[in-house]
Amino acid sequence: MIASVRPRGGHGASILVATLSSAFGVALLLATDVLSAYITASRLGEHASVRLVLLIVAAVFIVIAVYVGAIVTTNTFATIVAGRTRTLALMRLIGAEAARLRTSVAREGLAVGCIGAALGTVIGFVLVLLGTRAVVAWGILPNLNYPMGDWTIIIPPVVVALTTWLSSWVGSRRVLSVTPLQAVGDSVESAPSEVTGRRGRNIVSLCLFAVGTALLGAGVLVGLVSPFAMLIALVGGVLSFTGLILGAGVIMPPMLRLVGVALGTSVPAHLAAANAVRHPERSSRTAIGLVIGVTLVTMFTVAAQCYQNVLTSAASNEPDLYAGSGMNPVMTATVVVFSVLVGFSAAIAAVGMVNSLSLSVLQRRRELGLLRALGLSSIQVRGMMLAESAQLAIAAVVTGLVLGVFYGWAGAQSLLGSLRGAGLIAPAVPWMLLAIAAAACAVLAVAASIAPTRRAVRTSPMEAIATD
Amino acid sequence: MDITTSHLGLVARVANASKSYGEADGLVTALNAVSLGIERGRFTAIMGPSGSGKSTLMHIMAGLDSVTEGRVWLGDTEITSMRDAQLTRVRRRRVGFVFQAFNLVPTLDVRGNILLPFELDGRRPDADEQRWIHTLIDSLGLAGRLDHRPHQLSGGQQQRVAIARALGTRPELIFADEPTGNLDSRTGREVLSLLAAASTDYGQSIAMVTHDPVAASYADRIVFLADGAVVHERPRSTPEEISTYMLGMERAA
Repeated sequence: MIASVRPRGGHGASILVATLSSAFGVALLLATDVLSAYITASRLGEHASVRLVLLIVAAVFIVIAVYVGAIVTTNTFATIVAGRTRTLALMRLIGAEAARLRTSVAREGLAVGCIGAALGTVIGFVLVLLGTRAVVAWGILPNLNYPMGDWTIIIPPVVVALTTWLSSWVGSRRVLSVTPLQAVGDSVESAPSEVTGRRGRNIVSLCLFAVGTALLGAGVLVGLVSPFAMLIALVGGVLSFTGLILGAGVIMPPMLRLVGVALGTSVPAHLAAANAVRHPERSSRTAIGLVIGVTLVTMFTVAAQCYQNVLTSAASNEPDLYAGSGMNPVMTATVVVFSVLVGFSAAIAAVGMVNSLSLSVLQRRRELGLLRALGLSSIQVRGMMLAESAQLAIAAVVTGLVLGVFYGWAGAQSLLGSLRGAGLIAPAVPWMLLAIAAAACAVLAVAASIAPTRRAVRTSPMEAIATD
Repeated sequence: MDITTSHLGLVARVANASKSYGEADGLVTALNAVSLGIERGRFTAIMGPSGSGKSTLMHIMAGLDSVTEGRVWLGDTEITSMRDAQLTRVRRRRVGFVFQAFNLVPTLDVRGNILLPFELDGRRPDADEQRWIHTLIDSLGLAGRLDHRPHQLSGGQQQRVAIARALGTRPELIFADEPTGNLDSRTGREVLSLLAAASTDYGQSIAMVTHDPVAASYADRIVFLADGAVVHERPRSTPEEISTYMLGMERAA
């Protein structure tokens, strides 16, 4: 019964995210197989260990992508539920139980996850198949009998489908708080009701962050004596970053406000700044996906640059000792590959941003109508949407850059501090990274605002007056 | 030369205004060749049952919607075929609005909402305008609430803020669309008295759409619409007289 009257829609983004994650996972696993087959063929006897290392690396990237995908999907479902409040309230009024409504929303999540996972598997498979053919045709890899996956490639789609399901369950929590009265209540928008004071979570996040930062500090200090301090720093980094992600609801709103102030005092900027922090939890979740990607890319790049600087200075001090250390090209290639792989999670986060903006426009129909009636021009509407999008993108990218520089430096310091003549290493930030980050930020801000802006501009002033 | 709107002592008028939606079989005529002028400096009520076209008429006069046929003037400016950008400027500078619900921007405080029309226009109120806004804030009893957000205000207070915003730019005409529809009767009467006072004390032209005879009784002039056409108009009347006429309309239909 419930299924037949249940409103649908808004699932495009979730399907896209599930497809991307699953395609990424499948493609990465298959590519790992191809690579290890090539390495095995060229250097006999190292098969098991090479494949294992590659698999571990691939798994880390897949987990990051799935994690970011899960955050985006949770966010999407929370927004879908918010957009359906009236319909859900009507269902409650007729007599549907809240728990059953939530289950039915989560079931949509499972369906979305399965569709996306299946699509992604096919896409990932086709991509690697064509990619391998192309690479062989260009003579980059020899023409071997490359394996096209074993049973393990079903892991990514299954994981993606399950996390999407789980995310939809978590994201649909608000269904439980919809009351039947909301169907008949007045049409005045109620006070912002999103829960921000999650004390338990905040305490956990603070503890993780404190312990993690302390370990990072210890790693940096111990690093002056032994390169194994890197392991301490690694644990510290993982803990403190997890703390930051959990505490996003506390950290991101002030960042967003800061960027909002920086955007100026014109009406569009002013309204945008207020909108971006209207639902702090949603904005934080939207931003944090991007923060993760930017932090990781920055971390790899900065660490590599620090490493290079240390080698360069060491080589100039003691040319005999470091003669012919030809690490540089390998290092650069590794950083580029890692950045691209991590950058993929940023692409997933970008989908989340588009979606978050679109749905927030949908929820503000009457407000936009009111503003249009009072004389907000369509150019000002465009400005407002762009400012809103830019605020999210800038806050996320800047936070990610700051964190990434810190983690990258801490990693390099703990690993290299004990090298002769290294001592305290200055954090090295390649200007290329900053240029790419700024460009990506601008492209993202504009791209993410296109669809929501089109929707916002179409809102007619009469929507404000319509009493429903 | 055309007779201008202001020569007639009018602040807005429509001539042979028609509005229809859909096409062919599904054609719905909301307004059928209506000609009407809103008098300058007076409080006009536009009444009619649901579906009479009174809201459509207001939307058209306020530059929120366009006519299918006929012409529309605000002051001496013809707005009939203005494009969106021009209409937006007209609304921003020359028209004020008080709606039934959802009048205020939830993310702005009371002060921000009152100053919004100025900010949308990219300017700050000059000294004279600031004095005027202060007067409004005081007389509407909003002085202690300037930093409050809309959700912290009662329905009546929200309507007062909307009235302050509408009066703030001293627009040629204020449109009020069922301004008391969401209020209890006592608060509703307060809001109506404030609108009537704005008209008598400050000479503010107001056009109010309503289906409530009590609300209409505050107006200087009452125009009745039915099935998209003006069917009757009368000077200030008691709620009883208005109700009687409305009931007569119902019976005739």
